[in-house]
Amino acid sequence: MIRRFMLIVLLAAGVGLALRAVRLDERPMHNDEGVNALRFGALWQRGVYKYNPDEFHGPTLAYATWAMARVTKAPDFDHLTENRLRALTVLFGVGLILLLALTVDGLGRNATAWAALFTAVSPAMVFYSRYYIHEMLLVFFTFLAIAAGWRYWRSRRLEWALLAGAGLGLMCATKETFVLALAAGGLALGLNQVWNRLIDASGPPVKAARLNLWHLAAGLAVWLMVAAALFSSFFTQPGGLLNFFRSFPAWFHRAGGDSAHIHPWYFYLQRLLWFRAPRGPLWTEGLILVLALLGAAAGFKRSHLGRASASFVRFLALYTFLLTGFYSLIAYKTPWCLLSFWHGTILLAGVGAGVLGRRFRQRWPRMAVSVLLLAGVVELGWQAWQVAVPYAADRRNPYVYAQTSAEVLDLVERVEALAGAQGQNGRMIIQVVAPESDYGPLPWYLRRFKQVGWWDRVPESSFAPVMIVSSALHASLEEQQSYHMAGYFALRPQVLFQLYVREELWRDYLRRLPER
Amino acid sequence: MIVRNCENASPVASLPSDQSLRFRLGLGFLAVMLLGGRLPAADSPNTTPAGTPVALTPLILKLPSPAEKGTPKDIPLGSNVEPLSTNARPPMLVPAGLTNLAPGATVTCSDRNAGPDMLAKLADGEKEPADQNIVSLRKGLQWVQLDFGSPKDLFAVVIWHAYKADLIYHDVIVRVADDPDFMQNVRTLFNNDQANTAGLGAGADREYFESNEGKLINTKGARARCIRFYSKGSTDGALNEYTEIEVYGRAALSP
Repeated sequence: MIRRFMLIVLLAAGVGLALRAVRLDERPMHNDEGVNALRFGALWQRGVYKYNPDEFHGPTLAYATWAMARVTKAPDFDHLTENRLRALTVLFGVGLILLLALTVDGLGRNATAWAALFTAVSPAMVFYSRYYIHEMLLVFFTFLAIAAGWRYWRSRRLEWALLAGAGLGLMCATKETFVLALAAGGLALGLNQVWNRLIDASGPPVKAARLNLWHLAAGLAVWLMVAAALFSSFFTQPGGLLNFFRSFPAWFHRAGGDSAHIHPWYFYLQRLLWFRAPRGPLWTEGLILVLALLGAAAGFKRSHLGRASASFVRFLALYTFLLTGFYSLIAYKTPWCLLSFWHGTILLAGVGAGVLGRRFRQRWPRMAVSVLLLAGVVELGWQAWQVAVPYAADRRNPYVYAQTSAEVLDLVERVEALAGAQGQNGRMIIQVVAPESDYGPLPWYLRRFKQVGWWDRVPESSFAPVMIVSSALHASLEEQQSYHMAGYFALRPQVLFQLYVREELWRDYLRRLPER
Repeated sequence: MIVRNCENASPVASLPSDQSLRFRLGLGFLAVMLLGGRLPAADSPNTTPAGTPVALTPLILKLPSPAEKGTPKDIPLGSNVEPLSTNARPPMLVPAGLTNLAPGATVTCSDRNAGPDMLAKLADGEKEPADQNIVSLRKGLQWVQLDFGSPKDLFAVVIWHAYKADLIYHDVIVRVADDPDFMQNVRTLFNNDQANTAGLGAGADREYFESNEGKLINTKGARARCIRFYSKGSTDGALNEYTEIEVYGRAALSP
């Protein structure tokens, strides 16, 4: 039985890895991925990381990439690929499945196996595991803290308290929104205790050992040490710690509506449960929500839970509902934020699937339920493949948001060909001009060029042989006889750049083209 | 030495010390040429006009570093938007002898704040996207109307909303009628309001990017006394802005 359970979890991890890792480099880098890549580049090339409290989240992504790059002997930054960067978040996405081993006695074996499968094939989980941003790390560290906390609750052993502390420290150093998970977790713990004492008193008495305050203090110390070490760039930038606290006023402003990312309360649920863009397919992870509600209800009713801990299931349910509420009520929304509460929903869906099977005592109905649920898993897996590969950069994908256009790759290819024609290659001078510096992720794509200047307005004079200018500026450099306008290239929908090339360079470039 | 007058300037490009002198000279002169410096005489690159040798120093070029930007705004692009074309628009074939009727028409609009002086800019021939050439109407669905005084045969319409950026105006609708109150013989010549948010009926035409070419609409000789142009804000804001309108036609011929 244990062997079959282990096989299912490993199979889920394998399926999860396959869906997350296939054709990882095809989607053009999102602006945020480009910024994260450049921040890692500074650490990789010059050993410098400085926490920026404005909008760029914590240091764990850069340091985890650094560690992976060291272990895998990554090349210099110029030759680093999207594959290598995104492999990090893929690993954390698969790690989330393996972490379930820590909560088997909380969820029950059946529920854990189903939760592993749902985590592996959830389209949202798959899509954002392939994104070089902080979110998957935040979800992983959050679950690490919960799982280690649960193990400590069960065993009262110091090492689990320390691991939970480390998990909290890593959450804290990943993304400022960890406070939402922390608040939801704290409230859920309190509410669950109230439920255990006042409402569920008819259940078996809980004989947990008394909490050891020294253990809790040690866990707290590890939390603070981990966060302090990372925010201060391992104690080389003491100001990083102060900046961590400075980040919150800006985030409170954004959360209150001072942002370009204000969306209605149902923004996340619409994407997860019923999303159909014009001429696009229907996307839904509704099965997971239905099973999660079933699992949560079973937790509160203490029915058909098998060997799962009703208290743990109730905690998960309270935590997930609270976190969903927090994220939905905050006006600031970007779609990847949904992962935090959706992971809780997936765990509850595992419980729900287990409960559904146990409702039938006879073998054949139970098998029929299992087959139907497996069909649901396969269907979710198909959706996951669709969002991950064919629709990876398509606006009809519910998880695509401010995605960079594939035309950026054409632009970079053209610029590289021009550099070859000029004979300067990486030394060719390029000017990039865009209002409000809205040119990301071009700094990532042009990283091999060492003489690139970045402007937010067209310089009055002094033009480079290659100018990449936002069309919003209407530079009309072709009106100067010395420039050729070599085309429009979309950075994102409605954000276009014009490529201007010096006439003599353009002629050299044309001469090098193969004759037709 | 050439130094950019920009914020955040940092010396990201200084020539490595092991470069050959030839390369230094080449890049130095290239950069001087590109960045607005004066060229020395072609036959004496290392001398002053008086023939005195000049010591050349490597060019230190300072270029601003890229700024880090947060998550950009997710701007939806409807499925009915025409892709921005980089090719010149093909000519439209019309009968000979047409004139632009707009300058002689009486211009009115739905926005009471827009007076006759302001509306006169719509047909004054000034199409440059300068602020002084743009007429701004309040937000929501707004229209401007040209009354030609008598029936005309209309063959082509060109509309320039504000085109200072690549933006798309919503619910662009062009209608004609036989009276200024738009009660008699109302017909729709162009309508890209596919969702019928303007309430004038769903249209089958596509949204488009504004450009200096303006939007050319083939009105196929529609006979009418008045023509109205509707819009309902743009991807850039809620206001309805116009730079110029041209209507090509002729006096109505006897049926």
